[in-house]
Amino acid sequence: MGSSKTASAGDGVVLPADCRMADLAGVKQALQAGLAAGALSVDGGAVERVDTAALQLLLAARRDAAKASVAFTWLGASDALRDAAALTGLAQTLELPAAMPA
Amino acid sequence: MSTVSLSQFHQTFFEESREGLDAMEAALLALDEGGDTELVHTIFRAAHSIKGGSATFGFPDMAAFTHEAESLLDELRDGRRAIDASIIELLLRSVDCLRGMFERAQSGAPLADAQSEQLRQELAASIGRHAPVTQAAKAAAAPAVDAWRIRFRPHAGMLMGGNDPVRMLRELSELGALNVQADADKLPPLAALDPSESHLGWIIELRGKASKAVIAGVFDWVEDECDLSIEAIEEPVAASPVAEAAAVAPVASVAPTAARATRESASESSSVRVGIDKIDGLIDLVGELVITQSMLDTFREGFDSNRIEALQAGLAQLARHTRSLQESVMGIRMLPIASVFNRFPRMVRDLSQKLGKQVKLDLVGEQTELDKTVLEKIGDPLVHLVRNAIDHGLETPDRRRAAGKGDVGTLRLEASHRGGSIVVEISDDGAGLNRDAIVNKALQRGLIASGDALSDEEVAELIFQPGFSTAAQTTDLSGRGVGMDVVRRNVVDLGGSVAIRSTQGKGSVFTITLPLTLAIIDGLTAMVGAEHYIVPLGSIVESVQLRKEQLRTVTGGGELFHFRDAWLPVIRLQDAFHCGGTRADIERGLVVVVEGEGSRVGLFVDELIGQQQAVVKSLEAHYRRVQGVSGATILADGSVALIVDIAGLVRMQGRRKAA
Repeated sequence: MGSSKTASAGDGVVLPADCRMADLAGVKQALQAGLAAGALSVDGGAVERVDTAALQLLLAARRDAAKASVAFTWLGASDALRDAAALTGLAQTLELPAAMPA
Repeated sequence: MSTVSLSQFHQTFFEESREGLDAMEAALLALDEGGDTELVHTIFRAAHSIKGGSATFGFPDMAAFTHEAESLLDELRDGRRAIDASIIELLLRSVDCLRGMFERAQSGAPLADAQSEQLRQELAASIGRHAPVTQAAKAAAAPAVDAWRIRFRPHAGMLMGGNDPVRMLRELSELGALNVQADADKLPPLAALDPSESHLGWIIELRGKASKAVIAGVFDWVEDECDLSIEAIEEPVAASPVAEAAAVAPVASVAPTAARATRESASESSSVRVGIDKIDGLIDLVGELVITQSMLDTFREGFDSNRIEALQAGLAQLARHTRSLQESVMGIRMLPIASVFNRFPRMVRDLSQKLGKQVKLDLVGEQTELDKTVLEKIGDPLVHLVRNAIDHGLETPDRRRAAGKGDVGTLRLEASHRGGSIVVEISDDGAGLNRDAIVNKALQRGLIASGDALSDEEVAELIFQPGFSTAAQTTDLSGRGVGMDVVRRNVVDLGGSVAIRSTQGKGSVFTITLPLTLAIIDGLTAMVGAEHYIVPLGSIVESVQLRKEQLRTVTGGGELFHFRDAWLPVIRLQDAFHCGGTRADIERGLVVVVEGEGSRVGLFVDELIGQQQAVVKSLEAHYRRVQGVSGATILADGSVALIVDIAGLVRMQGRRKAA
């Protein structure tokens, strides 16, 4: 189990720079794959633009992970992502890291 | 916000919106006179595009305001509400209010003020959204609330329209401190989630001085695609700081606004919208010119005399094209007078209601085009004349009946081209000039010694004297005696003239004659000594050769000559301009009879060369202002000729006589 965790962390879902409605199909698939694999790590360090649709998607993934007791790890969160989450009152629910880990 | 990148479109948005407002106003007026419901659609469309534009370009106050107007129009459109005079009145006031907002928007001032907020509340109240009037009144009394609770739940499809709550919340965050609570209860599991559908809702608490209208403006674009409520959070707030802020803010903003407004109007006058057909015409002509030029170019190599006919033909073609090009370029500056005329239906309606008169306004020749500069300057004189006609000219219905006329007075504005001029006639079928009242007033003011010998024309001329007014009492419309002399001065400054024809009991006709353009005049070239002078053709009555016995010298050195039953003063240009004419003998030169400032004089010149078009160059811009000269032009041989300012010369002559 330890090894599978590392593997999925390494292939963690990397959110695109433009993380908005039009480009979410791939993100959704990756998130679903992560959930199915039993561990979900998301790297939002490169996000430059993000919209409500994306936040909603992340929120759904975060909640499904909690329900299914799947570990959900943030590998990074850009200012843009944290800013948008804060504005929409979702920062806490998403459990975004306060500062980007190195 | 994105205002920076959008600001380049602001000018266009303002222009289009103004046109929209004009259309709204015109349609409202037509509706007032019993037009059909298609007009409501026109008004609605105009309001809708202004609303959309102002939301897009970052004017939430304006969007919120138009939104209320639009909702009211929507009720009219659906027939849920009957159209009555009070609604038309309310919407007309809204149009005025929006015009004010656009002016403030252009000068960068805050858009909403107490008045617009009040009117917005009125609109909202009339829709019934804020049904209890007391609540609206309460809100108007205390427009600045410190805290708002906004419930916002987008419908599933809202995101598809490109409307992102993140952006809206960011806009809200600029209005004050936010406390946002997201409601994700309806969010489906990931597998069932369609990312393009919205499943979230928010309860937002906003603390700040923003008005409800401003907050609503943020959601303006999505109002049909979400559930939204905005309510004030009742809190014990000390009233004084709020009131203070409301009272201080507008005062502080007055001075810079005025300064900016002037600058804006200056930059506004520097652009003109030109129809694409006119531009295409120009490009065609330039093409023709290039062809002609290359044709003429062939003569450079080996010219012999048997090709002279071809050369002449080429030159004639060049002349033709140059002429057309000149006309087309002038045409670019030409705009239909409709833009000035369009303000009158509204003005006439308001004025006649105020004065209890019934007026039918006829506008004729609105498509007549004239130079933009002239157009801009003719508005105010026309407004004066129209006001005068309604205030002084047209009578109240009972007085009209007593005079055996119909209840409704007719005011007619007609524009037309006549020769090289444009003529605007303002005629009414009212009482006409009251000769006795005018003569009495003039006697009182010491303008005339006795009224007996005056012709009707001379009596009419008196009303153009500064400070002259015969209105029984001064109203806020007219009667302060600052009207007609200003009208005449403005028109004369444009190189035009005002004439009046009036019949007591039948009405008056004011005729304004204006040059088509200020850039080119038709003139008669005259020689005085070695100098050329251009006398504007429009002011020339005729030219005559005098005999010695027609000339009288009067005390003080002035000269008069007899011309058609009148004695006119002679102005010798050689004396006026100190240019040493060669012909002191009156019989050897010519006298050009000209009209300016309402009087006729004879200009004595050595000889007349001929008629020509003169391109006016400003003397002031290149040298300095010279008395009696309105500008200069370059003659075919490259020398400079001065253009005689008839009105200025007449004034000079008057001063010399008085001295």
